[in-house]
Amino acid sequence: MSAAGHALALQGLSKRYGSFTAVDDVSLRIERGQFLTLLGPSGSGKTTILMCIAGFVAPTAGAVLLDNRDITALPPEKRDFGMVFQGYALFPHMSVAENVAFPLRVRRMGAAEREAKVRAALDLVQLERFADRRPSQLSGGQQQRVALARALVFDPALLLLDEPLSALDKKLRAELQDELKALHRRVGRTFVNVTHDQEEALSLSDRVAILNHGKLVQEGAPAALYEAPRTRFVADFLGKSNFLHGTVREAHPGAFAIAAGGTRLVQAVDRDAPRPALSMPVLLSLRPEKIALLAEEDTADNTVEGRIVTWSYLGAGFAISVATEDLGLLRVTLPSWGAPIAPAEGMPVRLGWSAAASVPVAEDAD
Amino acid sequence: MEGAHRPGATAKGLAWLVAIYLVLPIGIILPVSLTDQRFLSLPHESLSLRHYATVLTSPEWLGSIAQSFWIAVASTILAVVAGTLCSIGCWRISRRATDLARAMMLLPIIIPSIVYAVGLYRYFARLGLLDSVLGVVLAHGVTGIPYVIITVSTALAAFDPRLEQAARGMGASLGQTLRWVILPRIAPGIASGAIFAFIHSWDELVIVLFIASRDVFTLPRRIWDGINENLDPAMAAVAVLLILFTLLLLLLDMALRRRRDAA
Amino acid sequence: MAAAAQRQTGWWLLILPAFLLMTAFYVAPILQVLTISFTEPQPGLQNYERLFTSESVQRVIWTTLRICTITTALALLLGYALAYRIALAEDRVRRWWILAVLVPLWISVLVRAFAWVTLLRRQGLVNQTLMETGIIAEPLQLVWNEFGIVVGMVHYMVPYAVLPMLASMREIDPRLLAAARGLGASRFTVFSRIFLPLSAPGLIAAGVLVFIFSLGFYITPAILGGGKTLMVAEWISLQILDLIRWGLGTMMATVLVVAILTTLAIFSRVVDLRRVFGSGA
Repeated sequence: MSAAGHALALQGLSKRYGSFTAVDDVSLRIERGQFLTLLGPSGSGKTTILMCIAGFVAPTAGAVLLDNRDITALPPEKRDFGMVFQGYALFPHMSVAENVAFPLRVRRMGAAEREAKVRAALDLVQLERFADRRPSQLSGGQQQRVALARALVFDPALLLLDEPLSALDKKLRAELQDELKALHRRVGRTFVNVTHDQEEALSLSDRVAILNHGKLVQEGAPAALYEAPRTRFVADFLGKSNFLHGTVREAHPGAFAIAAGGTRLVQAVDRDAPRPALSMPVLLSLRPEKIALLAEEDTADNTVEGRIVTWSYLGAGFAISVATEDLGLLRVTLPSWGAPIAPAEGMPVRLGWSAAASVPVAEDAD
Repeated sequence: MEGAHRPGATAKGLAWLVAIYLVLPIGIILPVSLTDQRFLSLPHESLSLRHYATVLTSPEWLGSIAQSFWIAVASTILAVVAGTLCSIGCWRISRRATDLARAMMLLPIIIPSIVYAVGLYRYFARLGLLDSVLGVVLAHGVTGIPYVIITVSTALAAFDPRLEQAARGMGASLGQTLRWVILPRIAPGIASGAIFAFIHSWDELVIVLFIASRDVFTLPRRIWDGINENLDPAMAAVAVLLILFTLLLLLLDMALRRRRDAA
Repeated sequence: MAAAAQRQTGWWLLILPAFLLMTAFYVAPILQVLTISFTEPQPGLQNYERLFTSESVQRVIWTTLRICTITTALALLLGYALAYRIALAEDRVRRWWILAVLVPLWISVLVRAFAWVTLLRRQGLVNQTLMETGIIAEPLQLVWNEFGIVVGMVHYMVPYAVLPMLASMREIDPRLLAAARGLGASRFTVFSRIFLPLSAPGLIAAGVLVFIFSLGFYITPAILGGGKTLMVAEWISLQILDLIRWGLGTMMATVLVVAILTTLAIFSRVVDLRRVFGSGA
C-alpha cells in the first residue's frame, strides 16, 4: 500500500441540535500519517466530530478540509474514508472475505484484482484462514480485525475509528492496542480515533485532543497532556490527580510559593513565565505517583504530615489515602516492591514532593 | 421453566372452549365437503369427492380462481414494491413527516373497506376503471401496502443502522446499499408482507362488490353469490380448498420467520 | 444545510411511489366520499340533519353500537382467557395455541361466515343434532338475526383481541408471578392483583381495536344477518347500490370514519397496529 497519508483540518466546526450544542467551535489539524485520538467523556461531542469528518452528520457551522480542499458538503460515500464502527458493523449475511471485498465491489473493481486485494488485507490482519467464515463465527478480537481489514482494503485517504476496542475485555484490549499501533506504523496512514478510555488514548496516539461539553479543551502529545494539563478537567480526566487550593504568597523567577491553610507549598514554573500576582488564588494538580513517603531524616521541597485513612493493595502498587490538616485527603500511589512501609490504617506518615512535581491548572469555566 | 406460574383448571378449560369455538366451525366444513348428499350435510353413507369434481371441472369456478390468483399476484407485487421502498425511506429519514406518512399508509387497515369501496365506485367510474382487472389490481395493491409496511418496518427495527452507515462510508451508493446490504437483511420481513398482501387480495370482497360486475368475477365474489343464492356442498369444497391454500401460506410464513429468528 | 438536504433526497424518493399511489388511489376516493356527503343532493348539511330527524338512521346507528359493544365485550372475555393460557404456556405448547389463533385470523371471512351458516341455519348441523337427540322439537332460529351476527363477529374478532393482549402479557416478568406465589398468594390473588393490572394496557388496546373493526364490518353481518338486522356498513351499501341515495350513504360513511378516527386518536398511545400484524408464531 502507498504510504500517502492525508492531512485533515477542522475549522470552527459546530453542531447544534435545537438548543443543544453537541460540538462547539472546534478547530483542529491532523497531519499526514498522524494517529490522533479524540478523547472525552460520553456526551463530550467526540463521536459527533467523527461523524462530521465521515460525512454522516452535517455540521451546523464550520468546515472539514482534506489537504486544504473543503469536503464539508461531500456525501460519505464520496469521501473515500475507511471507518471502523463501534461494534464493527460487519455485514452478518456476508462471509469475512465478502465483507472485506465490499468496498471494492462498490467501486466495480475486477474480480482478479479484488481477490488479490482482499487476500492482502486479510494477510495484514492475519485472518487469511478465516476468509470463508461468517462474522458471527469469529471472536470479538477477530471481528475487530475484519473491520480493520475492510476499512483499509480500498486504500482510504483516512482511517476513522469509533471506539474500536470498547467491546473487548481488558486483556484483549491491551493486545489489540499494540497491534493497532503496529498496523498504523506499517500502513503509514492518517488515523483518527475516538475513545473515552484515557489509557487507550495515551498508549496509541501521536496526539490527543481532549473534549468536554463539545469544546476542545486541550490537545497535544500524550506525555505533554499528562505532565502539563492546563485545566482541572484535563488533569482529572487523564489519569488521577490531587488538587491543592491556595493563595500566592511569594513570587520569584522560576518559582512561586502559596499558602494552603498553614502549609507553605513551593511551585516551580518556567523562568520566563509571567509572575503570578500576590494573594491570587491558585489551583495545583499533583499526580499521586509523584508523592513520596518520607523517612524521618528525608527532606523535600514540599512536605506535609497526615494519617493513613484507607489503603488498598493493587498488585504492582499500593493506593493510599492520607488525611492531612491543610490539604484535605491526598491520594498517593507507591510501588509495592520495596515500599518503605507496610501501610496500616491510622498510621502517621510524612509526605513529600518536589516543586516541579505539581503543576498549576485553571479551574474549568463550567 | 420449572415452578413457573401456570394457569388454573378454570382458565385452562375456558381457553380450550375458546379454541374449539375458533377452530371447530372451520374444521366442520371438511366432512361437509365430503358428503355423498346433494345438499349441505354430514356424509350419510360414504365419503365422496364428487363436489370437488364439480368445482374442479366447472369453468366458472376455475375461471374465478385463475382471475383471483393473477389479480392477487399483480397487486402483491405493487404493494410489496411500494410498501418496502416506503418503509425503508421512512426508517432511514425517521422524522415527524415520515411518521405521518407511515400513519397514512396504515389507513386502509383502519378505515372500513365499505367506505373506500363507495368512494372508489364513483372515482373509478370517472377514470373508466370500473369492472377492469387493472382497477381491481390498483385497489387491492393500495390496500395491501399497510401489511407490507408493518412487516417490513418490524424487520427494519431489528436492522442495525450502522450497517447502512458502514456501507455508505465505504463508498456504496444508495442503490448498492439497498441491493447488497438492506434488502438481503430484511428479505424475510418482505416475504411475510408479500404473503399477507396476497391473502388480503385473494380474500377481498367488499371492494370487488362495488367496482366489478361482469368481466371481473373473482373467487370471493363467486362464493358470495353462492352463499346468497344456492347453498350446496360444492361451496364447502371450495371453502376447504381455500382453507388449505391459506394454511399453506401461513406455514410458509412461519417457516420464514423461524429461519429469520435462527439467523 | 443544502448538503444534508441533498443527501436525504434519495431516501425521500423511496417514499414517493407509495405516497403517490396512496394519494391518488386511496385518499382521493375517500375524500370524495366526504365531499359528496355535503354536496348531494344539494349543497348543505341536510344529510347530517337526518342524524337527528330520521328514525331509521338512528335505529341503524343504535343497532350497530349495540352489536359492536356486545361483540367487543365477548371477544375480550374469550380472547383474554385464550391469551392468558398462551402467555403462561411452555414454549413448545405455545406454538400450537398461537396457530389456533392465527389460522382463523387469516382464513377468508367468507369461508368463516359460510361455516357458520352451515352450522346454524334451520336445517343446519346444530339444529339437526339437537333434534335428533330429542333436546328440541322445533329448529331454533340461530341465524339471520342478531344472535347469528354476534356469533360470527365474535368468532372473527377473537384473534384480533388475542394478539395485542398476548403481546402485553408476554412483557410481564414471569418471575413476578412466581414470586407472588412464593409469598403466599393464591392463584386467584396472583391473577387479580398482579397479572390483570399488568395486562390492562393490552386489554384496552384490544378493546379499541375490536370495537373499531366491528363498527365498519360488512361481510359477516350481511351474511349472518340475512338482511333483517342492518348494521351501518350494509346500510351504506344499500343506500348506494339499491336506493342510489349517495348523499345519505356518504354521510353515514363520513360519520363512520370520524367515529373510528376519533376513537383511535383518543387511545392512540395504547394501540399499536404493529402488535397485531407483526407478531407471529
